[in-house]
Amino acid sequence: MVAQNIAFGIISGIVVFSALRMVTTRNIVHSALFLVAVLAGLSGQYVLLAAEFVATTQVLVYIGAVMVLFLFGIMLTKAPIGKSMEMTGTQWPIAAGVALMLGAVILYSLIDQFGSDRLTEGGKIYRTADVGDEVFSTYIIPFEAISVLLLAALIGAIVLARKD
Amino acid sequence: MEALLAFTRPPLDWHALAPELTLLAVGTILTLVDIIWDEKSKQVMPTLAGVGLLAGLVPILTLALDGTDRAMFGGAYMVDDFALVMKALFLIVGYIIVLMSVDYIRDGDYYENEYYTLMLTSLLGMLMMASSRDLISVFVALELLSIPAYMMAAWRKGGRRSNEAGLKYYLMGVFASAIMLYGMSLIYGLTGSTSFSSIASAMALNDGVTAMSILGVLFVLIGFAFKVSAVPFHNWAPDTYEGAPTPVTAFLAVASKAAGMVALIQLVFVAFDNHEVIQPFFWLIAALTMTVGNLIALRQTNIVRLLAYSGIAQGGFMLVPFAVAGQASERALQAIVIYLIIYAFMNLGAFSVVLAVSRKTRSGELESFGGLFQYAPGLAVAMTIFLAALAGIPPAGGWFAKFGLFRALLDAGGAWAATLGVVVAINTVIAFAYYARVLGQMWFQPIHEGDERPIKLTSALGSALVIALVATMAFGILPGLVGHFGEVAVLSTLGR
Amino acid sequence: MTGDPLFHDGVDLVDIGIMGLKVVVAFGFLLVATMFMVWFERKLISDMQNRIGPNVAGPWGLLQTFADGVKFFFKEDLRPENADPLVFRLAPYISAVTAFLSFAIVPVGGVFKDVPGTTGTVNIFGRETFLQVADPPIGILLLLAMSSIAVYGIMLAGWSSGSKYPLIGSVRASAQAISYEAALGMSVVAVVILAGTLSTHDIVAHQAGGINTWFLVTSGVIPFIVFLIAATAELNRPPFDLVEAEQELVGGFHTEYSSIRFALFFLAEFMNVITMSAIMVTLFFGGPAGPIFFGLTWFWPTIWFMSKVMVFLFIFVWFRATLPRLRYDQLMDLGWKVLIPLSLFWLMFISLKELRASNDWNWIATYAAAAGGLLLGGTLLITALRAGDRAYQKDSEDA
Repeated sequence: MVAQNIAFGIISGIVVFSALRMVTTRNIVHSALFLVAVLAGLSGQYVLLAAEFVATTQVLVYIGAVMVLFLFGIMLTKAPIGKSMEMTGTQWPIAAGVALMLGAVILYSLIDQFGSDRLTEGGKIYRTADVGDEVFSTYIIPFEAISVLLLAALIGAIVLARKD
Repeated sequence: MEALLAFTRPPLDWHALAPELTLLAVGTILTLVDIIWDEKSKQVMPTLAGVGLLAGLVPILTLALDGTDRAMFGGAYMVDDFALVMKALFLIVGYIIVLMSVDYIRDGDYYENEYYTLMLTSLLGMLMMASSRDLISVFVALELLSIPAYMMAAWRKGGRRSNEAGLKYYLMGVFASAIMLYGMSLIYGLTGSTSFSSIASAMALNDGVTAMSILGVLFVLIGFAFKVSAVPFHNWAPDTYEGAPTPVTAFLAVASKAAGMVALIQLVFVAFDNHEVIQPFFWLIAALTMTVGNLIALRQTNIVRLLAYSGIAQGGFMLVPFAVAGQASERALQAIVIYLIIYAFMNLGAFSVVLAVSRKTRSGELESFGGLFQYAPGLAVAMTIFLAALAGIPPAGGWFAKFGLFRALLDAGGAWAATLGVVVAINTVIAFAYYARVLGQMWFQPIHEGDERPIKLTSALGSALVIALVATMAFGILPGLVGHFGEVAVLSTLGR
Repeated sequence: MTGDPLFHDGVDLVDIGIMGLKVVVAFGFLLVATMFMVWFERKLISDMQNRIGPNVAGPWGLLQTFADGVKFFFKEDLRPENADPLVFRLAPYISAVTAFLSFAIVPVGGVFKDVPGTTGTVNIFGRETFLQVADPPIGILLLLAMSSIAVYGIMLAGWSSGSKYPLIGSVRASAQAISYEAALGMSVVAVVILAGTLSTHDIVAHQAGGINTWFLVTSGVIPFIVFLIAATAELNRPPFDLVEAEQELVGGFHTEYSSIRFALFFLAEFMNVITMSAIMVTLFFGGPAGPIFFGLTWFWPTIWFMSKVMVFLFIFVWFRATLPRLRYDQLMDLGWKVLIPLSLFWLMFISLKELRASNDWNWIATYAAAAGGLLLGGTLLITALRAGDRAYQKDSEDA
């Protein structure tokens, strides 16, 4: 358990640092890359919780698809190398204040609720097969609905994006 | 192999899913017809979509005649009387909006086939919402109904305002979704379950008032407050309503808002039992929404914006019964359902008239209604009836909705309910002021730009108008009709 | 009990040592194999083009790659002035690291019997263990995850160079990778459905009963063909090497790279070729399965594995020597309109086959339904594609 805790600490540090840099960096591509680092770090935390399937899905979906498309979009439009000053608006102190307050509230509620709880070792580990069974039984309706949603989103996106 | 064999097929109740499946099938057929006949299919698209929506009513009828509550997946997907009433409402509203869209979309030469496909998808999400008793289903249903709506709001691609409408709606929508998801994750972490009934029992065990449960519940409710454009989460609504194509505006103001209300109903009456948190929240939100919506509506000069703010205020009225959900749960639920049904018809009617008038005047300003009575007396009378309904003047339908509201407040009793009742009363008076301004324009002002040509109503728009008019009047004169729906629309307590 | 038997009864220092050894051996093996792969490719292409190829350094030019490597190492490391310094340095490592990581899940040896989970082990220092660096329960998904991260290496290299040719190359690369990842994943799913597991070790164990149990045969060849094509595209190998189309883009994404950083990209590319070949052998050709003749029993499976990989290495070079590069729209058409529908259909067909077997359905009815579905789906697909072409033509006439 010690190894897991050390790994958890290191990964958390990386995630927090990357998250902070993500909003403070003045280069949009760097910002996206720090977001990748945050997502990758979360994927590492999932591995520590013995949820490999969620971890790989996180990599496949967020890093492999969503963020690639982000970067793709940035590169196709404009991708300045170096700093761009307009990245940070003038209202950032207010935003920072709101974020801090929200963070404090959430942190308080989490500590209040789970502050003294410990993760029990040797609990049931949910394998990929279990996830699949759940998706195709209990959550079959939302699952199918998502496929309809993706189709609709695709149709709409093509209509809106195509040149007339 | 072992894993594959261990899987048991989920028990699916095909009859209970029939309305959704019908809609899905019609959506698919629409896409296929579009692919195969291409340009030629444009003529039949609205007909197909309309017929499909009415076809969806058939299984709802058979389910209603059957009368048993059907629960799937341990109560995660429930087809009870409440769901049936709401599904029927969504389908009828969808049908009316298809009727309203036909000429608008055709004249503007927008992408017709895709428009109806997206609308059906969105309606499918609403049907799903009415049955979802599970956090994941609710969220997926919300996205399924919202994402096509974001794109429909931007459907007039050439117009700056429409783009603004779509973008604003989208950004605020995703923001709200993010907040809601965070709340859902907190609730899941707290209760270890996504199903409403288990959440309710787990929260009851925890006394329901830890910091985290309050936070989780508030986040989820705030997410839906965005959806129903409750103040202070309403800023997207006026710009989106004004910029979006008018039939889409009607869709957002009626169907989309109703879906948000349905979700709130399910959350408040099934999942969240901690009324000591929920009731003050809704008290505040309802009072704010009514007052702010009405006060801003007073100053509007654009008819669509006016209807947008009036819609916000009406949303506030609908939120009122939530504030007494604990003391008078049955009455409160009835009041919301009745309000939703009546609101749908009277608002759709008002939007139909606006559509008809703006087809001629090409303007959304209030002045364009000037002297309407002199060249289009029928429309003027219809609009008068709809506005009277919205203001709550008998015999037009709206009065019964307000009556239900007060009845729920009276049932609950107590100082808080009484003060809220006073706020409702004051707001009803304010609302009357700006509805009267529109009436004044129509009946007493000179004709807009001196253009006296009569307004030609197309058959589709005319039908929409007639349906809305008949329903509004019928609900006003025979309130028992809608009252009956309100009474049967009980949430099933299966699996609780 | 699944997973590597090495970890079944706690972890001690010997286990960690064995693990370290495996990593070092696998890495060394890949490096050396890459070196010879480069030589192999150059030599083979020369043969196919009636040239001699490298023949100076070492016997038959065998040491040519080594000499190149040393030369790269001592060259000046140039960085363009507009380049983004950090990302420019980071990109080659992403490419190289992901290339190596995917190889970790490939079982390179061990005698497999038809009983999954227990066989395929060898004995090192008195411990039973698998001959693969890692056997995570998500197994083959790791390959997909790594190939999706590998895109970053190329994409960031192109962007951070601050120059237009690399940027165009990298944009092409990411579009290509995303398009073909779907087909690649779908053909992997076909195998996963048949095997009922994601673990590469178990997938290999399922194919231990001779050639007719190889997934190449039981999945009906089509997933393999799709995988081969999609893998070639993922690797940016000819005929899908639009990323570095020399005639249009100078050198593509690595135009601005020089010295050891260029060598890293080079290394990653060839490492990926070897890894993909190894994965194909694992998924479709029974991995290390094969007859054992005499002597050391652990020796033969590894030999079989390597020979199978060699065949694919040859095929990749062969592709390069014979096939002309696709145009960009042809590339996209092939990916979206042919491979993805094909693999989707085949996936459904395989599922149907499995369902029929487990539910005892009438096979005539089942396959008649499948044929009907194929006919209907195919007709719709072709109609849709025709409609798309028509719309495209109309648009280009209007413009």
